[in-house]
Amino acid sequence: MLTYEPDETVAHALDPRAKLAFQVAFAVAAISRPALAPLGVLSLLALGVLLSANLSPPRVLFGYRYPFGILCLSVLIAAVTIGPPWIDLADGVRTAHAAYGVGLVLLVSAAYVRSTPVRHSRAAIQSLVPGTPGRLLGIGVSLVFRFVPVLRRDIGTIRDAMAARLGTERSATERAVVLSSRGLTRAFVRADRLSVALQARCFAWNPTLPPLSFARADGLVLLLSVVLVTVPLW
Amino acid sequence: MSTDHEYDSVALVPESIVRPFARAALLAALTGAVAFVSIPIPFSPAPLTLQVLFVFLAGLYLGPVWGSVSLLLYLTAGGAGAPIFAGGHAGIGHLFGKTGGFLWSYPIAAFVIGALVHGRTGFGFGSIDPTADETPSGGFFDSLEVRDPATVGLGRLVVALSVGTLIVYAIGAGYAMWLLSLSPVEAVAQFVAPFVIGEVLKMAATIALVRDGRYELS
Repeated sequence: MLTYEPDETVAHALDPRAKLAFQVAFAVAAISRPALAPLGVLSLLALGVLLSANLSPPRVLFGYRYPFGILCLSVLIAAVTIGPPWIDLADGVRTAHAAYGVGLVLLVSAAYVRSTPVRHSRAAIQSLVPGTPGRLLGIGVSLVFRFVPVLRRDIGTIRDAMAARLGTERSATERAVVLSSRGLTRAFVRADRLSVALQARCFAWNPTLPPLSFARADGLVLLLSVVLVTVPLW
Repeated sequence: MSTDHEYDSVALVPESIVRPFARAALLAALTGAVAFVSIPIPFSPAPLTLQVLFVFLAGLYLGPVWGSVSLLLYLTAGGAGAPIFAGGHAGIGHLFGKTGGFLWSYPIAAFVIGALVHGRTGFGFGSIDPTADETPSGGFFDSLEVRDPATVGLGRLVVALSVGTLIVYAIGAGYAMWLLSLSPVEAVAQFVAPFVIGEVLKMAATIALVRDGRYELS
């Protein structure tokens, strides 16, 4: 599983806003079904992005084996036709072309995930989305990061308790009901305790965040993003 | 000056926002925490995953406004790197990837389900920013009311969940069709047909959860 890892790579040093802009621009370029030459340039660029975050391509490909497997399945389903000639190569190639671009976008986002801690993402969100919605979004994102491991443990406990009582013999619907109702009850109890704690600690609209600053490298990344956005026009 | 804010007065967030906001954030985290859970279904090619079930629950228990906020938080946190998308994946790439349409449809589906179940009580009018309005009571978030889903009629629940499911699959399969140049039949074969049994079971599970008195969700 790919998650944030502390390091001192080029990608780690970049401003999170520049990295977000680059990813969106790259996605716009890659899913617009560019011709083969721009697609080759994008492939090299994606490789460079992975290396800049000290990620080896085989590691990312292995980590994303299921999404990539589903992309390959799409190509296969597109190529198969019902009735002769059974295989429509042109249809398959068209989907493979599109699926390749989608794969590149996944590679680039893996570099962001490895190189950006949550507090930087939060600061970037709050500086990009103005006002109260941005603040709520920023705080909410850090709460989600904080509580996913806690709630995953809750779900694990509930599943263990069900398994110990032969819950695995129950129907799928019954298991889903027990798991989701117990999970939701626990999550809402935690949420209500959290809201009391937040208010007790004067939860405010104007917290102090880590300062973000643009360096020359961020300017270059932004420039590259602007170029990438124009790829669909080529 | 960068230190100006230290001298500003602290603008406290009112309780009418803190409580539902904490619930929305935790429901988003829970939707991510169940990304690893899959329950095998007999005679179905795809196992039962619980994420869409929590989209239903967000609309039902948080209402149209906070339900969609919860799912927006889920998408933003996943995009920012929390391992909460299906299979424990993360990153903006998945929001643009083949299942990106499904992810984007979640807040819309939660909003529509909440609107259909809670009707006019789920909405309110007023200022969204409490710092702009010095009197926090009587604002937009104070006027939002979410009724207990157990009191909602069975017909209304079935219609709301069916419409929500249709939205998820129409946007999800439609986006994949456009993204990967698939024909409608191919898109349905890969992104809709394998999940039909699971979706029916999820709707049944949601209705059982909502209407069964054993499960107390105050």
